[in-house]
Amino acid sequence: MDAKFYKLILLGGAVRFYFVRTPLASLISDRVEFATPLNSQKRMKEGIYLLDQGIDPYSGDLVHETPLVLKALSGLFLNFPQWLPLIYIMLDLLTGALLYNLSVRFVKQKLQKQRLERKNYAKDTEQLQYNDDDNYDIPELVLIAYLFNPLTVLSCIGLTSTVLSNLFLALFLYFLTKGLLLPCIFLLAFETVRSFYPIVLMAPLLLVFARRSFAGGVILSVLFAVACLIIAAASYLVIESWSFLDGTLGFIFYFRDLQPNIGLFWYFFTEMFEHFRTMFLITFQLNATVLYLVPLSLKLRKEPLLLATVLVALMAVFRAYPSLGDVGFYLALLPLWKRCWKYMAHGFVVFTFFLVTLSMMGTLWHLWIYAGSANANFYFGATLAFSTGQIFLITDLLFAHVKREFCLYNGQKIMIDGEEARILLK
Amino acid sequence: MSWVHLWCVVALLLASVLAQTTPKDEHFHEELVVRPLSGDHVNTYFQFTTRWHYGQKENLYHTQLTPRVIAELLQQFDVKELHIGLTQGLWRYETWGYPIVEATSGAEMWAWFKGPNLTDEAVDKQWAQLANVFSGVLCASLNFVDNTNSISPRHLLRPQFMPANRETFVRYASLPREIVCTENLTPWKKLLPCGSASGFASLLNSGYVHNTKYHSLGLKVRTLCQDYDEDNCILELTQTANLVYDLRLLEQSGNDFSLRRLFGMGLNGYCELATTSKIYVQCNELGARYQLVPLPPAEVKTTRGGYTVLYGVYDMQEQFQDQGERLFNIAWLAPKGEVRRNRLKPAPPPIYVHRYLLGQGQERGRIVTEVTNSHYAPLPIVVQELIPWYVHAYLHTLNIRRRSMGRQEYGRETLPFKLLHYAPGKQRELPTHLEIGFLLPGQSSALITIDVDYLVLKWLEYPPDANHGHYINAALVSSSLPMGTNYSALPLEGHLFAHSFNATRPSYVLGLHTEALIVSLPTPDFSMPYNVICLACTVVALAFGPIHSVATKVIVVVRPTSAGPRNFLKRLKEKLFSRGGQESTPMEGKREGVVPDDPCPNEKADDDQEEEREGKEEAAESLIANPFESLSSAACPTVWDL
Repeated sequence: MDAKFYKLILLGGAVRFYFVRTPLASLISDRVEFATPLNSQKRMKEGIYLLDQGIDPYSGDLVHETPLVLKALSGLFLNFPQWLPLIYIMLDLLTGALLYNLSVRFVKQKLQKQRLERKNYAKDTEQLQYNDDDNYDIPELVLIAYLFNPLTVLSCIGLTSTVLSNLFLALFLYFLTKGLLLPCIFLLAFETVRSFYPIVLMAPLLLVFARRSFAGGVILSVLFAVACLIIAAASYLVIESWSFLDGTLGFIFYFRDLQPNIGLFWYFFTEMFEHFRTMFLITFQLNATVLYLVPLSLKLRKEPLLLATVLVALMAVFRAYPSLGDVGFYLALLPLWKRCWKYMAHGFVVFTFFLVTLSMMGTLWHLWIYAGSANANFYFGATLAFSTGQIFLITDLLFAHVKREFCLYNGQKIMIDGEEARILLK
Repeated sequence: MSWVHLWCVVALLLASVLAQTTPKDEHFHEELVVRPLSGDHVNTYFQFTTRWHYGQKENLYHTQLTPRVIAELLQQFDVKELHIGLTQGLWRYETWGYPIVEATSGAEMWAWFKGPNLTDEAVDKQWAQLANVFSGVLCASLNFVDNTNSISPRHLLRPQFMPANRETFVRYASLPREIVCTENLTPWKKLLPCGSASGFASLLNSGYVHNTKYHSLGLKVRTLCQDYDEDNCILELTQTANLVYDLRLLEQSGNDFSLRRLFGMGLNGYCELATTSKIYVQCNELGARYQLVPLPPAEVKTTRGGYTVLYGVYDMQEQFQDQGERLFNIAWLAPKGEVRRNRLKPAPPPIYVHRYLLGQGQERGRIVTEVTNSHYAPLPIVVQELIPWYVHAYLHTLNIRRRSMGRQEYGRETLPFKLLHYAPGKQRELPTHLEIGFLLPGQSSALITIDVDYLVLKWLEYPPDANHGHYINAALVSSSLPMGTNYSALPLEGHLFAHSFNATRPSYVLGLHTEALIVSLPTPDFSMPYNVICLACTVVALAFGPIHSVATKVIVVVRPTSAGPRNFLKRLKEKLFSRGGQESTPMEGKREGVVPDDPCPNEKADDDQEEEREGKEEAAESLIANPFESLSSAACPTVWDL
């Protein structure tokens, strides 16, 4: 927490504050890339308004925020709407600060671990090891990546509730590195009831808190289930009906709203044959949750935070209603793995993918919806390419991690018969 | 509480009517009203009324004048009142005034249900069945009426029968896309006792009816029972045909017109089963400039709520008293050399409505309903919106802005809701139902706006012509007028047009329909399903493959391929054969080293780094000979598990 941290935070706040006062803010809050049926501010407002009017918000099809959040924010939305942007900016800055603290702690833990294991490392691997400079560099990079990533900035000024999701996820990760079990479980349960997919983050949680004991794992799972029930019950008390379960979790699982977004679901299920719909729904939801959970948990059992990063990233790609705010969040976690960057081969490709597809999305959307000169396929193509780019990034990170681990112990240059060998997966 | 007051009046009148009539009596009346409208338009209104005092429910099995299907309806369903309208065209309130019966473009239907132990679910079921019955009876697409496009209005619709207690259910639906044509007119005429053979119905030839600017077929059924007694009831079936002709389209010089011009033939008589057959011709206001040939034998002057209308009355049964085949015709002769712009322009009616859509693109828009009150006093307004499920409406964006008649633009002044009922819509299940009530000050307009999002539907949910657009139903607007200007609807307790004569009441309930809207939803490419499925699954596979290979494969160190065969074909061959037979036949000139990615550092902590490297090389050597053996006999087995 040095002066630079505060400067960055202030600057991040200033950037957001500047943009929130421009017409860009209302434009972004209507863009499908940022505002999905789950997180759009318009729907949040509608939910709060309906709740205020005494109408069950979930009897309709517009509101998919949990009753707890609606109730918590209703005072703010109804009485002080002019302060809303400021509150959202504060929350976003808080997320940045949490990520900063999280990475400080993470680097410290890494260095500690490294000190114990150093004698096993190969000789020429200083480049791959965390060093004392990382104590400052990595948190700063994380902070910059969060505060000045256009995706998070725009997501914040569009007042999407992704700001809240990111805050809760950052809190979760922060408590995870800090080793505080109960807040972790409750935050995770809250996010799970809110948007379903974070349930996969149980894996890093178990890896951190119940490493060696099976019984511990069972107890934590039960605790998590109880926490979910408590949160559901609290939501029930707010609106005195269980309709919110179908309105939030059911809505996500059954993918009822086909509004275009940056994910893979919307066009797929628009064009789906009706009798295959259920099967593909289950397949896609499995893909977004458990499909990668087990192999990755086993592979990354020593790196729970990397596991969490990868799972959050996969969630952002494969969830039913992803938004660019989710993408911005996991991008901010990448600097934690700065020591893997050496082995990330597709950096340029991914960057180009992001740049081209993100700029195409706006254009193609306009051509499809307003100009009428393109059709849905164009926009679908852009979102598909964007997903591909993200997948490249994630798999690249995984490969890089595996290679780094290998080289850390075996040296960066492995010679076979006097020639440098190549490292492959087989 | 003028409403309760009105009910008492109705109850009294009904009771007196019931007391006078004896059971088993059944009457049929036919009426035709011709009213010249402004702008060279003529409104002709046919009303065929069958009124049957059937008494007990068992008597419904013996129908005479009433069509059997209507009588059976009352046996099978708990329906007490039913309205169906099939309309083509738009009634222009501002220039034409108010119609005698209201209808919206397309098909519209609403019904009241009342019965012992009736539940909402049972009503939903009966409602769908009822719609199906009339889909068959009128050959209309009413079978598309179901819960996804029906609402139960709370405030706007009022029953016209006697709800003994308040336990009534109402359902309303409209199908703005429905196109009304000959196939609806023919079955509609078949419900009449004389069919289209004789009587006024013989004038309704489809070739002429469908040439009109506006035509609306209506069907209204209601039952009136004495108090709580279900054994003394009247069944009233009213069939209406409301037509507006544009005289300029009748291919004739001048502005003269006649029954023959309008309907293609003169009247061939009256329906022999009818008790009365009368033609009413409006003679004042816009009718004053016409000379009628023949002159009407009788005239009726009616003053209702301070509004006087003069009707010439032709009684067809008198006209056709003497024998002989002939056709009866009435001609309206306009004065010659009349200058069009000097003509009388009627004052606009007290309330008129319009509706339009704001915004561009296929993403979102704003529905605007504009209600204008040209009366000097404030009037209560109730607006009912039925927004179909494929459009999302945001209640928090609903507001009513006001503008005085003189102003051009709406200011920031908003009107407060006196009443708000909202049932949010659900995709593929429920439409959005909105009813708002407010007091509209005199000489001002109210602009009711609500923001909507257009949804993307599944590809099979689009109609065959997907780019035609989707309809948003017309809004219903209701008000209560203190005066009868321009008001010609039947009073609640009356069943004939003649009953509206001199029917002054404390207030007049007015119902109006706005225009229906059409929105274009974003459409997918309908030829793409296979491609989309393949492409999306490919992207999923792009993640699935690498992630699982990272998670399951081991790291190997390979000598760079530059040492291998340089020839492309040979390399390909090597690749192909290296798949299965590698372990038994190690490649010449190529050596592989397999090293565990995690060498169990704790157990080897004491070893010297260099020695460890050598040991590993040895392990790698042995692995080439038999990798599986080394797998099982590795120094630290945990290394290999993933």
